Amino acid sequence: MSFLAPLMLVGALGLLVPLIIHLIGRRRAKVVRFAALDFLMASKRKTARRLQLRERLLFAVRALVCVAIPLALAKPVTSCRATGPSVERGPQAAVLVIDDSFGAGYQLDGTTLLARAVAAARHLLDQLGPEAEVAVVRASEAADNPGELTREHLRMRDTLGDLQPTARPADLNRALARAAQLLAGSSHARRTVYLLSPLAATALRAGEPPWGEGGPRLEVVDLRGGAALPNRAVVRATVEADPSTGSRGIAVTAEIAAYGGEPADDVAVSLRVADRVVATGTVDLRPGQRQVKRFLATLPPGKRAAAIAVELEADALPVDDRRWLHTAVRDEIRVLLVNGDPRTTRHDDELFYVEAALRPGDRADTGTAITTITADELAEAELDQFDVVVLANVAALPAERVEPLDRWVRNGGGLMVTLGNRATAEGYRDTMRPLLPQELADPIDATWGAAPDERAGRVLRLTKWEADHPIFAPFSQDAPGLRDASFHRVFLLGPTTDTADRKVLARYTNGAAALVEAARGDGRLLLFTSTIDRDWNDLAIHTGYLPVVQQAVRHLARKQQRRHADDLLVGRGVALPTLDLARLEVRAPDGKGTVFEGERIAGRAFVRFLGADRPGVYRVLAADDSGATAERDELAFAVNLDPRGSDLTPAPPEALPASGTGEGRGEGANTRRVELWHAVAAGLLLLLLLESLLALR
Amino acid sequence: MPFLDPVAIARLGSLPIRARVIVEGALSGLHRARLHGSSVEFAEHKEYSPGDEIRRIDWKAYGKLDRYYVKQYEQESQLTVYLVLDGSGSMEFAGGGLRKLDYAGTLLAAIAYLVIQQQDKVGLRVFGDRAVDVLVPPRGKTSHLHDLLAVIDQVMAGGGRGDEGPADALERVAELARKRRALIVLASDLFDPDDRTLTTLRQLRAQRHDVVCLQVLDPHERTLPYEGLTLFEALESDHRLLANPAAIRKEYLERMDAFIARCASECADGGVDYHLVSTEVPIEAALLDILTMRARQRVHGGGGDHAGAVPVDHAEDGP
Repeated sequence: MSFLAPLMLVGALGLLVPLIIHLIGRRRAKVVRFAALDFLMASKRKTARRLQLRERLLFAVRALVCVAIPLALAKPVTSCRATGPSVERGPQAAVLVIDDSFGAGYQLDGTTLLARAVAAARHLLDQLGPEAEVAVVRASEAADNPGELTREHLRMRDTLGDLQPTARPADLNRALARAAQLLAGSSHARRTVYLLSPLAATALRAGEPPWGEGGPRLEVVDLRGGAALPNRAVVRATVEADPSTGSRGIAVTAEIAAYGGEPADDVAVSLRVADRVVATGTVDLRPGQRQVKRFLATLPPGKRAAAIAVELEADALPVDDRRWLHTAVRDEIRVLLVNGDPRTTRHDDELFYVEAALRPGDRADTGTAITTITADELAEAELDQFDVVVLANVAALPAERVEPLDRWVRNGGGLMVTLGNRATAEGYRDTMRPLLPQELADPIDATWGAAPDERAGRVLRLTKWEADHPIFAPFSQDAPGLRDASFHRVFLLGPTTDTADRKVLARYTNGAAALVEAARGDGRLLLFTSTIDRDWNDLAIHTGYLPVVQQAVRHLARKQQRRHADDLLVGRGVALPTLDLARLEVRAPDGKGTVFEGERIAGRAFVRFLGADRPGVYRVLAADDSGATAERDELAFAVNLDPRGSDLTPAPPEALPASGTGEGRGEGANTRRVELWHAVAAGLLLLLLLESLLALR
Repeated sequence: MPFLDPVAIARLGSLPIRARVIVEGALSGLHRARLHGSSVEFAEHKEYSPGDEIRRIDWKAYGKLDRYYVKQYEQESQLTVYLVLDGSGSMEFAGGGLRKLDYAGTLLAAIAYLVIQQQDKVGLRVFGDRAVDVLVPPRGKTSHLHDLLAVIDQVMAGGGRGDEGPADALERVAELARKRRALIVLASDLFDPDDRTLTTLRQLRAQRHDVVCLQVLDPHERTLPYEGLTLFEALESDHRLLANPAAIRKEYLERMDAFIARCASECADGGVDYHLVSTEVPIEAALLDILTMRARQRVHGGGGDHAGAVPVDHAEDGP
C-alpha cells in the first residue's frame, strides 16, 4: 500500500489524543482511601464488564477515528494483480465486442453469460473514462452493428441494458473484423478490441484473421470463467406423415446431442403436438455423442396441421432444448384407380371390391379420395393430383403412357399394379418394365385339370408374409382372414438379380411371390400377382382384404409430403410459393406479421421471407383474387436455432486472432491500482456513528 | 440532650479526660448509671436433688412447705469487662469527621472509665496488626485505667494498620475469660476478610459471656457521597479501583445495607448485643444509647441472656 499524500499521515499522531485524555483522566481522578473497598469492587465487578467493554470500545473507536481521518486524507492506494483485461484510462478508441448469441443465454451461477458480459462492459466503460471513443459490436451472426465510434457513453449504457440473447449463433470472426474496421477509422493511437465472449470453438473460423499486422490490440474477457459449459440440445428434427398409423399419423425423428458434461441416463424427451405433450421417452446421452429418438403420433382429431415440438428437460441453456416442426397432412389420400376391365355389371367390375375396401360405406371420413378412370383416360390424367395410382388388370400400356407414370413414381408417387386376364407377360415385358418391381412370367392355373371336388385342395393360399411390414402390421401371426383366401390363378415372376430395393412381402403356398415391393426414385412400386377382384381368387370376400388394400395404399402414399424436409434456421431466408395468391401474410411466433402483396407478389412463383429471427412455427395467411383470406397450413413452416451455437466447447487459445500490438491477448495478469480512501472514508463514517451510539449509552 | 461533637471531643486534652467528659455527659441524664454484667441476685428455687450442696438448701422454705428447695443465685462477683478494639487498617478511614479508630478508641475508653468507676475490672485487646500483640489484662484499680487508656491512646496515635480480623482476638479473649463469665465489648467495623467475626461472637455468647458488638461505620461508607472519576485505594491492601461512583452507588449501597442487616440479624439470633454506631453521632450519645439499651434489657428480664440489636444512629434516642 502506498499514499498519494503521505504527509497527511502526520495527522495519525492524533491517535495520541484519546490516549492522553485517557491517561490524564486517570491521573485527574480523585483519590480516596476507602475501607469498604471490597464492597465497591463487588459492585464494580457486576457492572465492570459491561462498563469496561464499553469504555474500551469507546477508546478503540475514538483511536480509530483519529487514525482514519489522516489515513483518508493521505489517499492510500494499493496495487493488485488483476485477472481481467488491461484497461488504461484516457483518450483512446475501443470496441466492445459482446457475444449476444443464443449461447450467451447460458445460465452460469444464477446469471446468464450475457448478463456477465454487460456487467463487464459497463465496468470497462467506467475504466476507459469519458474521453474514450467506444462502440459496442454484437457478435451474433448477421447482427446490425454501429457505423462509428462515439463518446456518448450514456447511450451506450442504454444499448447494453437492452441487450438480449438473439436466436443466432455467434460469428466472432465477422464481429472482430467489424471492430477492426471501426477502429481503423479512428485517429487515436491506442486502439483496443475488448472481446467479451464464452469463446466457443464453433464461433471462430480458423484461417480467417479479422486483421493483419497493424490491427488493434485484443483484450479478451472469457465469460465462462474457466467453466466447461456442458450443454444438451435437440439439434435436428424431422416429421413425416405416417399413414400407417392413420390418416393423421405422423412420425417424428429427433436427434439429441450432448456437448461435454457427465454421461446422463434417462434424459427425458417429449413430443408436443398442438401445445399438448402426446409422447414422452428417455435417451441415454454421452458427451460428444448424438442419439436419435423417434416418436409416432397422430394429429389431434379434426386437425390436419399442427405445430410440433421435440423437447428435452431443461438445462442451463434452455433455448436449444426444443426444436420446432410443422406438418400438414392432407385430408385424404388421393387414389387414382385405373380400371383395365370395366364391366356394366357392378359386382363384376374389376374395381368393385377395391373401391368398397378403400371407401367402406362410401363415407367421407375414410381418409381416401378415389378417382376412377379407364386405361384409355390415363393419358389425360394429371398424375400430380394423386398420391397413389392403382393399375388394375390393365393391358400393357404404350411406352408414352409408361414414361410419365415412371417419372411420377420417381418423384414420390406410389404405384400398385394388380394383374388379370388383360395383362400379358409379353406385353408387360415390352413396355411396363419401369413400372414393375420384377418381370412377369406366364400365369399358372393351380386347379387346371382338377376335378371339381379336387379344386379346393389344389388352390394356392397366402403364406409367409412379412409380418413386420406396415401392410401386414394389422394381422396376427396366423391371420385366418388372409390365410383362408384361395388363389387358383396367379402370375409367376421372372428371374431377377436385382434385390437391393426389391422385397417379396408375401408368397403363395407354392413359393411363388404374391406381393412384391420395390423403391423407384422417391416413390414405391407394389405388384400383386393376382387379381384385385374375385376373378382369380376369393381374397376380396375375406376379412383380410380390406386392411391389406387400405394399408397398401397408405404405405404407398408415405412420401406424399417432403417439403421443408431440412431445418429452416433462424436468420435464413425462406422461399414461399405464391400459388397465384393475391396476398400472403407470414405470422411470426410472436404474432408479428409480414405481408406480401401487390408488386411484391404479383407475377412471382416464390417470395422470399427474411424475417425468421426467432425459433418457432410461422403461420401463413393467404388471400386469393376474391379477397377471401384463409390460413394455409401447407405453407406454414418451422424455424429453428442453428445447432452449431449449441456447442459451447471452448476454443483453443490459438484459435483467437493475434493481438495487433503483439501484446498478450488473453486475460493476462496485470497490475492495477486500487484506491482505498473511499473505503476508509466510509469506515470513518461508520466509526463516528458507532462512537455516537456508544457515547449515548 | 446536648452532646459534644465527636470532633470537638477529640480536641479535648488526653484520653482520660475525654473519657471522663463522655461518661459524665452520658450519665448526667441517668438516675442509675451502671454497666451491668451478670446478675448477683437470687434467681429461683429448685427442688433438691441428690448431688446438690446441702448448704444451699433454703430452710425457710422447708419450714413453710415441708419440702427441700435449693436457692439458686446468679453468680455474684466483680464484673470483668474485656474491651476489644479493632486497630486494623480499615479503621483508619475518616469520611470527613473522626477516624473510625479514634471514635471506637474513645468510646471504649469511656466504657473503661465507666467500668473502673463502678469498681469492676477492665482489660483491653487490640487487634489489626498481626505483628503487634496488644493485650492489657483486666484490673480494677484506677491506676490501671490510666495504663489502659494510655495503650488506647498509643494505638490511636499509631493509626490503624494491618488486616487482622476480630475473630482471633475474640478467641484469645475467650481463652482469658474461660474461668469466669465476662462482658466482652467489641468495637469494629466488622470488615472481616475471613468472615469469621460473627461466628466467633456467637460462640462467645454460647460460652455464656455477655457480648456487645459495636459496629463503627463512617457515614461516607453508608452513603458513598463521592462524585466524578475516583480512584479508591484499599486501606488494608494494595487494591485500587478507578470508578465512577455514580455508576456503582446503587449497587454498593444495596450491598452495604445487606451487610449491616446480616450483621444485625446474626447477632440478634446469637444473643449478641449489637449496636450500629455512626462516627457522626456524638460519642456520649452512643454510650448513653448502649447503656440505656442494656438497662432496658435488664429490666425486661433480658439479664444479658438476650440482646436487642437496636442500632444507635442518633443522639436523641435517650431515656
